[in-house]
Amino acid sequence: MRTSARLTPGANRLQGGRNPYLFVSPFFVLFAIFFLVPTLASLVLALYRWNGVATPEWVGLSNFRRLFSDPVFWQVARNTTFYTLASVLILIPLGLVLALGLNARALRFKRMWRSIYFTPVVVSAAATSLVFQILLSRDAGLVNGLLGQFGLGPVPWLQSRAWVKVGVFMVVAWRTLPLLTVYFLAGLQAIPKELHEAAMTDGAGSVRRFWYVTLPLLRPVVLFVLVVVTLNSIQLFDEVQILTDGGPANASATAMHYLYSRGFERLRFGFASSVATLLFGIALSAALVEARTLGGLGIDREG
Amino acid sequence: MSRLIQKRIGHLAVNVAVAVGAVITLVPLAWMVFSSFKTTTEIFTYPPWLMPRELSLFNYESLLRGFPFGRWYLNSIFYCAVVTVAVPLVCSLAGYAFAKLSFRGRRGLFLLVLASIVIPFQVILIPMFILMSQIGWVDTPYAMTIPWIAPALGIFLMRQYSYAIPAELLEAARIDGASEFRIYWQIVLPLLKNGLAALAIIQFLSSWNSYIWPLMVLRGQESMTLPVGLAGMQAQAAGTATPYGEMMAGATLASLPVIVLFLIAQRYLISGLTTGAVK
Repeated sequence: MRTSARLTPGANRLQGGRNPYLFVSPFFVLFAIFFLVPTLASLVLALYRWNGVATPEWVGLSNFRRLFSDPVFWQVARNTTFYTLASVLILIPLGLVLALGLNARALRFKRMWRSIYFTPVVVSAAATSLVFQILLSRDAGLVNGLLGQFGLGPVPWLQSRAWVKVGVFMVVAWRTLPLLTVYFLAGLQAIPKELHEAAMTDGAGSVRRFWYVTLPLLRPVVLFVLVVVTLNSIQLFDEVQILTDGGPANASATAMHYLYSRGFERLRFGFASSVATLLFGIALSAALVEARTLGGLGIDREG
Repeated sequence: MSRLIQKRIGHLAVNVAVAVGAVITLVPLAWMVFSSFKTTTEIFTYPPWLMPRELSLFNYESLLRGFPFGRWYLNSIFYCAVVTVAVPLVCSLAGYAFAKLSFRGRRGLFLLVLASIVIPFQVILIPMFILMSQIGWVDTPYAMTIPWIAPALGIFLMRQYSYAIPAELLEAARIDGASEFRIYWQIVLPLLKNGLAALAIIQFLSSWNSYIWPLMVLRGQESMTLPVGLAGMQAQAAGTATPYGEMMAGATLASLPVIVLFLIAQRYLISGLTTGAVK
């Protein structure tokens, strides 16, 4: 086979022999052990009661029944919905506006501004959360200090059940917004300049150009960002655990925090797996949207 | 005339708005750095003020004396180094095969890779932890490295970068009788330089900053990584005053390398991040 491939170079794309399988095998071995098996195990474990030591006990769907009758679960579901909606409705439009600003022809020192804007992407959630504990402190924090200038506050950002979600969201926003801006800016830069020039010759103002040229062409990026934001919100954990540990009285806890505390602090592995299974279902629904995005990204693309 | 003025004002507004946003972006970072020179009392003095009264390094001293901070730093560097070197190699091998070699089941296997990207890793957290404890990997460097050296996103990324490799070059090497692995090593890898750099940086960052996994599988002060160690300083201090000064010193030292890396290699990072978003 290999000889014939050499004689007819055009045909040898079909004859990699065993090599392609060897090339992808390190990935698939690790993938099977550390991804596929745990995923399936998670689905099965949801039907058992297990503390990690004793023999697992089959309980059928009772984990789910207990889950749905737990008021804390519904609190956590509401909180996660809050973070997701706030991210989608506030961060996505804001990220787009920031990207438009950073892409504006009138802007000077573009490179410097972009570097500054993107820096939070690389800083850890841990470092961010710790410094925001200071910035959001009730009596001496910068945020309340600034509000005080206008006669407002002080707001107990991390102590009150009413405000804590807003406080946590501000921290998440500081780290997430730059990432979304990176995506949008890349999307804007990929739009051919000629399209804008053509629209301008036709007399379209900047608002109309944005609405009829920029936005339609940005659709795939918007969709991608939407999925990233949704998945990130479903998985939100670091900031919540460090800033408030879900408190006060679960007012800021997320689904992930619930899963973590039930699984690792109370060692209810089966129950926590039922939470994971539910998250899996939600993530998969979001994934259907993403599959469409990625579908346009080149599953069928040939070199 | 008035149109011109309007335009000028518009331009000015864009510049001012962007500058204001930049200040909001930088304030938390500046606060972190400057607070690291303040005592905890000074940090929480009203009205809040950025500049410390004096530039003193006492937080840094007490951080290094009172906490195994140096150890956390070394742990973080070690785990990151392993992942940062291994991931680009494993992923480029597979990504190149998916892009440039033909084999039965290629499409199906790649769809499997894609599907796994969108499933949140947290979903498999519990079974992964159980797996780790059953094979005795809890609190070992294995748990921090081996499960993470073949991320699906990396395969996707390397596949995208591999499309740019000209097929003629590979054909020519095959006609010269080079083995497939040699082609990969001597021709493909050098051509994938940009993609490898992008992936290495993304991996370094995600490993350096990862929180929930080390929180679960690492035990004891000595084996912590930087984020977990830092966040733990707060919990540890329960009862006594939280050492905010030391925590800010630690956060500053932990953030410094990634910020420097970002400023040097921004281009690669952004190209890697946006490969999935644009197209």
